[in-house]
Amino acid sequence: MSTEVAPTAAPAGPRPRVRATPARTAIAALALVVLLSLVRAISGADDLTSGGAISAALLLAVPIAMAGLGGLWSERAGVANIGLEGMMILGTWGAGWAGYQWGPWAGIVAAVVFGAVGGLLHAIATVVFNVDHIVSGVAINILALGATQFLSNAYFAGRDGGSTKQSPTVDPLGTVSVPFVGDPLASLEAHHWLLVSDVAGILRGLLTNLSWITVLAVLLFPLTFFVLWRTPFGLRLRACGESPTAAESLGVNVYRMKMIAVVASGAFAGLGGASLALAASSFYQEGQTGGRGYIGLAAMIFGNWRPGGLAGGAALFGFADALQLRGGAAIHALLLLVAVLVVLVGAWQLRRRRVVQGGVALACGVAVLVIYLVTTTVPSQLTGSVPYVTTLLVLALASQRLRMPATDGMPYRRGEGG
Amino acid sequence: MTSEPPGGPSPVAVRLTGITKRFPGVVANHDVNISVRAGSVHAVVGENGAGKSTLMKILYGMQRPDEGTITIDGEVVTLGTPAQAIAAGIGMVHQHFMLADNLSVLENVVLGSEPRKGLRLDFGAARARIDEISKAYGLGVRPDAMVEDLGVGERQRVEILKVLYRGARILILDEPTAVLVPQEVRDLFRAVHELPGRGFTVLFISHHLDEVLEIADEITVIRRGETVATVRPADVPAGQLAGLMVGSELPSPQTRESTVTDRVVLEATGLTVRDAEGRLLLDHVSLRIHSGEIVGIAGVEGNGQTQLVEAIMGMGPLAEGTLTLSGEDVTAWGTRRRRGAGVAFVPEDRNRHGLLLEAPVWENRVLGHQTQAPNRKGPWIDRAGARADTERIVREYDVRTPGIDVTAGSLSGGNQQKLIVGREMSGAPRLLLAAHPTRGVDVGAQAAIWDHIRDARAAGLAVLLVSSDLDELIGLSDSLQVMLRGRLVAEADPATVTPEQLGSAMTGATAAPGTASSPGAP
Repeated sequence: MSTEVAPTAAPAGPRPRVRATPARTAIAALALVVLLSLVRAISGADDLTSGGAISAALLLAVPIAMAGLGGLWSERAGVANIGLEGMMILGTWGAGWAGYQWGPWAGIVAAVVFGAVGGLLHAIATVVFNVDHIVSGVAINILALGATQFLSNAYFAGRDGGSTKQSPTVDPLGTVSVPFVGDPLASLEAHHWLLVSDVAGILRGLLTNLSWITVLAVLLFPLTFFVLWRTPFGLRLRACGESPTAAESLGVNVYRMKMIAVVASGAFAGLGGASLALAASSFYQEGQTGGRGYIGLAAMIFGNWRPGGLAGGAALFGFADALQLRGGAAIHALLLLVAVLVVLVGAWQLRRRRVVQGGVALACGVAVLVIYLVTTTVPSQLTGSVPYVTTLLVLALASQRLRMPATDGMPYRRGEGG
Repeated sequence: MTSEPPGGPSPVAVRLTGITKRFPGVVANHDVNISVRAGSVHAVVGENGAGKSTLMKILYGMQRPDEGTITIDGEVVTLGTPAQAIAAGIGMVHQHFMLADNLSVLENVVLGSEPRKGLRLDFGAARARIDEISKAYGLGVRPDAMVEDLGVGERQRVEILKVLYRGARILILDEPTAVLVPQEVRDLFRAVHELPGRGFTVLFISHHLDEVLEIADEITVIRRGETVATVRPADVPAGQLAGLMVGSELPSPQTRESTVTDRVVLEATGLTVRDAEGRLLLDHVSLRIHSGEIVGIAGVEGNGQTQLVEAIMGMGPLAEGTLTLSGEDVTAWGTRRRRGAGVAFVPEDRNRHGLLLEAPVWENRVLGHQTQAPNRKGPWIDRAGARADTERIVREYDVRTPGIDVTAGSLSGGNQQKLIVGREMSGAPRLLLAAHPTRGVDVGAQAAIWDHIRDARAAGLAVLLVSSDLDELIGLSDSLQVMLRGRLVAEADPATVTPEQLGSAMTGATAAPGTASSPGAP
């Protein structure tokens, strides 16, 4: 009977987590603008905050963001989705195929449907047949590539403007602008005043000449947050990713939730494909996705499986990609920006006593700074990879304690829990 | 028709009649009959693997019975899913908590029956209702805490709140004390004591007899999937309850002259094992086994026997303590090295730890001896040698099998066990760890396995025998230790001790000898 109370193990130290309040977000945004402005002034690369660059950044961020949102839906329900790239490829092809025949809006619908079909395939394989999620995802990537090559041969080759690698041209989707702000902002921007012109440039990029698909994509972020975190449906979906046996024991149909989540995931990736084919260009082209499905997944992971972090990662990639495309001094100036960002991240991590992450970040920041100082241009062979490297570097170093859904990627069978 | 429980004016809330559940190769429940009176605390006791959890999963709709009926408040119901059980007013607090760590308490509680406001989840209403229930039952649950930040006791209260939130009137508590420290157990018992007064019916599942005697109005004993008896705690002494729970089988292993030598084979000093939360599973256990000696460990299952065996096998980390084998310190050795040094192991769960069910019999012979003759030739498996030796085991240990190329899973339980014993005895071990070596085997195989252990003992083998079969322990052992809550609490001389005395010691009650009559086994 004489059982002593066991001393409980020392709990792991407190984990301070930074919560994103509106005030904090606003301060961070302001700081970022100031930083951009200073870097522009120092480097003289006016393109850094020009309306054109920001506009392009937004456009290029959308595919990443959509792939990431797709990953968010799927993984929050516990299904790892490396097949986003393939679903995106299906989306680009669907956009080209329907778009050149029936117009860009039909292209969007077709892209979403094609992506969802890819998602359905993944859902059937992983949820119904319990195939390993990674194996199924990789298979879908390979399958999507082969299928679109075959379909291009069958439907695009020989058409006017089409080839085995490209669809005929699709009519432009059209853009939308906030009225009455474009011209004043443009004139302000032309003065190149510190801060004022930068803010004007950024606003011009964000408010004018927006593709409808961009507007749609931006709206999907609050919508996703609302659905996943504020509705019973979203709670059940997330519970399936955290503890499917608990969800099952409370009467949730786990299979159905997972199926819905993965199909939705494919639809998001398909929409990302549509933005590449219809907004960033005006036709389907083989290899158009360029690995953006994977980058979207990475942005989602480093964004800690949350929409906010994911949006930040996507925006960063879009910005770097836009500067890369515009070339010249801007991409070189980006190095300075990245150096400062990474050093700041390092200092912040050190203050939070994460010595290793902080140290690595500081070292990386100093290295990038040195590269910036000793070179005058980025070698053209490397410019293509700059957006990828930048995004991953910043995200990896800035990410806090990552917490993936507890049963993400694990097989689940009804009635086998507990 | 089921037999009526003794006395009691209140109506029956739950009646299980003739419940039978078969899994491939096992009958988990066989013709189980239980009547639970409304507004009572009804305990269901039995050893691990006796079929308690399966029975409760059937009542909660997670498993379907093959035969039998469930009656709730006088109406026959079909419970195919947990949702149906919840609708019938049944709630279950699972042994392994069904909580999502990364969700808040509120989210965990409302999941599946969320209050809504339009499309939204009505967080305000949910929070108010949780606070209300929490206050009414003194649960002290904070709705906005993250579950991962909660301790075990708090998590359990969240589970109870989950059940109350769904309006359950019948509560199943499946081994609720298994994860708690004593203070938390007292808190839980205080809460459970109040429930009948508020109109709840509680089914309390446990294998700790002292707890059951303290809390239950009635006790149903389950052994090997069958209901053995339903008794009132006042009517039975603890020793008799242990007898009912553990049972005693014939034929009884006979005692014989001692072969104990003075050569110490195993010396364990202060073995201590903690779980991830730091609770003591094995509490400074010291033990010495001589060549030719069988040391029996008696105890209700789940009191640290598994951890003791695994600690000696090197299967889990030791918090403290040292182990020497024939004078050599083996504390830092890995499991393979210990096996190589002559430690043999008959695991308690032969399907999970003893065999590869999908692999042929001869490959199972190689398991654990893959680095030794006759299974190895240079870097390769010696197929011919392994097969020949498997034939020998099949012959000498009377393993009834159509051949050595059939899968181990196609053998009956008794023959699987004989195969394991044969394998472990080959290579002349110095020490045998035998955990429930005759559980679930037929009487013939049981006698054969006893003979093999006895012969090996005569040849100088040291044996640690963990069993819940008291007759087996008393009959085979040269000395007996009683284990309770991770400690060795008593010693007994197998020549003089009775199963009743042993049973009392196992429950922690130090009953005077001869208080109990013989166990009422059928």
